[in-house]
Amino acid sequence: MSTEASVKLAIRNVTHNFGTFRALSDVSLDIRDGEFVCILGASGCGKSTLFNAVSGLLNVSAGQILLDGQSIAGKPGQVGYMLQKDLLLPWRTVLGNITLGASLTRGASKADREKAAELARHYGLGDFLRHYPRALSGGMRQRVALMRTIAAGRELMLLDEPFGALDSQTRIGMQQWLLDIWREMKRTVMFVTHDVDEAIFLADRVVVMLPKPGRIGWIVDIPIPRPRRMDCLTSPDFVEIKRQVMEMLYSQATLHGVPGGLKVPA
Amino acid sequence: MSETTSPYREYARHIGLWIIAIALIFVAWELVLVVTGLPAYVIPSPAKAIGVIFDNIPLMQQLTWQTLGETFWGYVVGAILGVVLAVIMSQVPIIHRLLYPALVTSQAVPIVAIAAPLVIIFGFGLTPKLIIVAWIVFFPVVVNVLDGLGSVDQDQVNLARLLGGTRLRTFMIVRLPACIGPLFSGLKIGACYAVTGAVIGEWTASSHIGLGTYLLTANAQMNTAGVYGAMLLLTAIGIGSFLLVVIVEHFATPWRTRMTAPGYFGGNVPTSTSTQKV
Repeated sequence: MSTEASVKLAIRNVTHNFGTFRALSDVSLDIRDGEFVCILGASGCGKSTLFNAVSGLLNVSAGQILLDGQSIAGKPGQVGYMLQKDLLLPWRTVLGNITLGASLTRGASKADREKAAELARHYGLGDFLRHYPRALSGGMRQRVALMRTIAAGRELMLLDEPFGALDSQTRIGMQQWLLDIWREMKRTVMFVTHDVDEAIFLADRVVVMLPKPGRIGWIVDIPIPRPRRMDCLTSPDFVEIKRQVMEMLYSQATLHGVPGGLKVPA
Repeated sequence: MSETTSPYREYARHIGLWIIAIALIFVAWELVLVVTGLPAYVIPSPAKAIGVIFDNIPLMQQLTWQTLGETFWGYVVGAILGVVLAVIMSQVPIIHRLLYPALVTSQAVPIVAIAAPLVIIFGFGLTPKLIIVAWIVFFPVVVNVLDGLGSVDQDQVNLARLLGGTRLRTFMIVRLPACIGPLFSGLKIGACYAVTGAVIGEWTASSHIGLGTYLLTANAQMNTAGVYGAMLLLTAIGIGSFLLVVIVEHFATPWRTRMTAPGYFGGNVPTSTSTQKV
């Protein structure tokens, strides 16, 4: 393949079964270096299974997962990772939590701490370095969790509904903050969400996943120019893309006869 | 999380409540005597019980030091043993399965029944007392730490794996600190019971008399005031041990009560090399 060099993550024909339940069926997806890809779908469509497979926590039944051409299936520690739960350690300060990756692998050096402090100051956490997580709001905690993910230094970052537990105002602020960081850091991002607005606002491409069995339904390019500001959420282009994506999600749901269509036993 | 009240007022309030609670016990004690009219050789008044202590200060000092020493060293041995056992058991499942029933059995055997054979084996010295106190103290520690180690959030452990954490570092940084809360719960329970162990040890046999031995002798001599005096001192040791653990806990787990880390606990942050802000 001639485009191999620019592909950061290659997911090739990945299938996974939990017992007799097929969670992922023949999923293939290439994510380019520096690209922001959102995986969109209702719960039960296999997006978290795909996420765990790419992170290396889950050994898939079949298929390949390649990072820079190297197989990473079943090998944790190759990619950055962040969940809806911030998973901050309550007994470590903000700075201690950001340097957790270094502490867990070789011990955080003075240079690690200085670098992390600099990063945190640059992204607006400078006044909180000595704080314990309990002293922070939900939004601030997620910022710290994202800083921890960035400080770990992986080029591909997996984010699984990281803003899912935040109120909508805080979430929009966090999305813009994430885009700023992504623009400056030039990392590759795979972002899992069930929020249509969030997916379109953030992504270069939105991968719409469908359930039973979990598979990729459509891949939608988002040509909205960057940098994106909040007002693009109500622009005609945005609304048109949203209409198409909603149609994809809901036409599928009505196939099962019920909106959402997922919780009814066959 | 009332940050507006100063911590010192908070401490003062705590200490005040303890003093009031203890004073109430003495008041109730005095009231019982007034209402029932029991003679002093059955129950002495609080003043008499305290008076025994102050009339015999050198003796009481010597007795208290003896019992305090047994309690303290037994407690330290028991606590360390508890933590070490819990860590080993949490890491080696086969040892966990084999040892857990043995631990429960060890606590089901009446402690008084254990004391006699220990004296036969180890003699009248300090060793059997240490073993008895440690025997009582290690159990709540081992059970609580094991529960703490077992209830670590699996997502947290997965995160450590994904950050490339080594097994040892993950244990030290993620798993072990997660059981500090349960550890201190075990230590507090142990602190209250430890002194009982020392007394039982002294009752069985002793070459150096402590408060427990004195209590037994006073009882045999119908020296009721002496019995109550010794009891007061033993109680003081129990409460003091408990409060000491509470204070250690307070300073060892600053994240439970403070917003920011104190300097002695990683609170020092590299100074800014630029004033850049977003």
